[in-house]
Amino acid sequence: MLEIKNLHASIDGKEILKGINLSLNSGEMHAIMGRNGSGKSTLSNIITGREGYIISQGDILFKGNSILDWSPEKRALTGIFMSFQYPVVIPGVNNTYFLKAALNAKRKNAGEKPLDAAGFLKLIKEKLKEVDMDPKYLQRAVNEGFSGGEKKRNEILQMLTLEPSLAILDETDSGLDIDALKIVAEGVNKYRNSERSFLVITHYQRLLKYIEPDFVHVLIDGEIVKSGGKELALELEEKGYSWLES
Amino acid sequence: MNIARFQTEFDKMMNRDYFSEKVHPMRQEAFIKFLKVGIPTKKWEDWRHTNLSSISKESFRLSDGQDAPKSDIDISQYNINDLETVVIYNGHYLEALSSIPAGVQLLSGLEYLEKKDSGFNSPEHSPFDLLNTAFMDSGMSIVVDQNVIVEKPIRMLFISSGLESLMVTPRVHIDLGESSSLTFIEQHVGESTSFFQNESVFITLGQNAQLNHIRIQSNSVTTANIVNIQVEQNADSQYTFFQFADGSQLGRLNIRAELKGEGANCAINGLALSNNSQHLDNHIITDHQVPNCTSSQNFKTVLQDHSSGVFNGRTIVRKDAQKTDSTQSNKNLLLSKSALMNSNPQLEIYADDVKCAHGSTTGALDTDALFYLRSRGLNILSAKALLVRGFATELLDKIKHDGIRDFITERFDIWLTENSTK
Repeated sequence: MLEIKNLHASIDGKEILKGINLSLNSGEMHAIMGRNGSGKSTLSNIITGREGYIISQGDILFKGNSILDWSPEKRALTGIFMSFQYPVVIPGVNNTYFLKAALNAKRKNAGEKPLDAAGFLKLIKEKLKEVDMDPKYLQRAVNEGFSGGEKKRNEILQMLTLEPSLAILDETDSGLDIDALKIVAEGVNKYRNSERSFLVITHYQRLLKYIEPDFVHVLIDGEIVKSGGKELALELEEKGYSWLES
Repeated sequence: MNIARFQTEFDKMMNRDYFSEKVHPMRQEAFIKFLKVGIPTKKWEDWRHTNLSSISKESFRLSDGQDAPKSDIDISQYNINDLETVVIYNGHYLEALSSIPAGVQLLSGLEYLEKKDSGFNSPEHSPFDLLNTAFMDSGMSIVVDQNVIVEKPIRMLFISSGLESLMVTPRVHIDLGESSSLTFIEQHVGESTSFFQNESVFITLGQNAQLNHIRIQSNSVTTANIVNIQVEQNADSQYTFFQFADGSQLGRLNIRAELKGEGANCAINGLALSNNSQHLDNHIITDHQVPNCTSSQNFKTVLQDHSSGVFNGRTIVRKDAQKTDSTQSNKNLLLSKSALMNSNPQLEIYADDVKCAHGSTTGALDTDALFYLRSRGLNILSAKALLVRGFATELLDKIKHDGIRDFITERFDIWLTENSTK
């Protein structure tokens, strides 16, 4: 599904990623853990195609194709999705309108007919239930007046609607209380299947109690210093990160 | 247009036998005053950012009989649902194409002045006020009696057409009696290649009267469109203004709203879209003269190419105007690095118990928002268009009439399609 090969990346002349190697197969959930500033968000930004980074070495393959030259929209249409750490507020753009436009862009790309208003409404109502979201949020501008938890639910709602094959969850647990965390985790767990992969970026082990990763990687200063099973997350919770620093 | 040329045209104006002599002294006085001051230059504080060379360099002549339509004209292309229309073509009132809603009395601007029998003072805030009084030659006036609620909006459709450099000077008076209400739309259209329109609109709102004034400035992008709007508001009256401007090479909106009776409220809004070398200018003054009035100014401009714009908003709160509640907001979106916006919100407060807020932002599209939309699969053009549309939504939502909001929104979307691919 996703293969990252010896990825070196810098921004404003500072090298952030120093040779990342990572391979995700279909159906796998990988967690990347690390402190603030370790390069976690840079990695997710680069996979999704945010501008401003210089890739000096390495490659990223998605479904066998190098995607480094692809626009963010092409990556999205091919099946990459990121749940943002800080979802953006977009005044004046109606949430329903946005979701429908995004879904229909994807359907068009797949050669399917666009959904009309009624068809979309039916679909979105089902998805809303899965994340326990009040339909009133559909009528607001994108993320405007949403609490931290509501923004994250809105991200998961988008994921469930757009049905990506690779979902990157960037610090999805931050800003969530325990009830919201459980609901979001449930949404993610239901979405898991053998065709879909996840990359969960997190600082804490908290989220991983509810969505169990197959693999855990520890990122320190732009390098993966240790990889293991889900028990590695518990070990980190107990010992912190310092024992892995050279 | 040099002074000699203005003089020639003025002499023609004074010799027109079909205009009443009663207004001649008014014209004469205004023209003499105009000759003393001339066309503003960039050294004038209020005109610092407004390039008037398209007026001062061109030679315009008065519109006369030959500029009336030679055959039937088709106004169906300007159709907006649910309103009555008064058509003014190159300054000529086309009665056969015009109709008015029940409750409205329609007079020519000159008939109106005669009726007032010089019991009327024209303001002289700028040389264009003076020029309007000196050259007023068209436009219609509207009177609504007290307690009359006019259900259907009335639209004045100003069409400018032809290859000749014409100067047209509409004079519009709107008098709303106590507790009456009206929706008044001005729509400026036409494919004229060179046109200088200097329009003045005088609005008087009786106690508790309500005017919803919508101005659509969509005339050709090679013309100059200056408008001077003067509003006098009595107690508990409400004035709502919305301008949508995507036309004119040089567009300048001057509004002065005087809140003279307690409990009066005015909301002055504008959305301007400019491209190429267009310059769209908004100068708004709200003058709180008595206590307990509220006002708001909310303007947005979207600028493409090397176009430019100005927002100059002033809220004056006089010494006696305690408990004033006013806001000013100006937000501008630059779609090109060569576009230029000057924003200058100002408060002048002489009272001590007031609530006044003002703010201004000018910038490019939010790159985080753009990335967010693209990361959901929207292509860059759709994403940009969606953001610009979102930027304008707040103002489009302020248009109180469904048919007009739909019409303006459609025009906005057309502009967006043509301008977001750059």
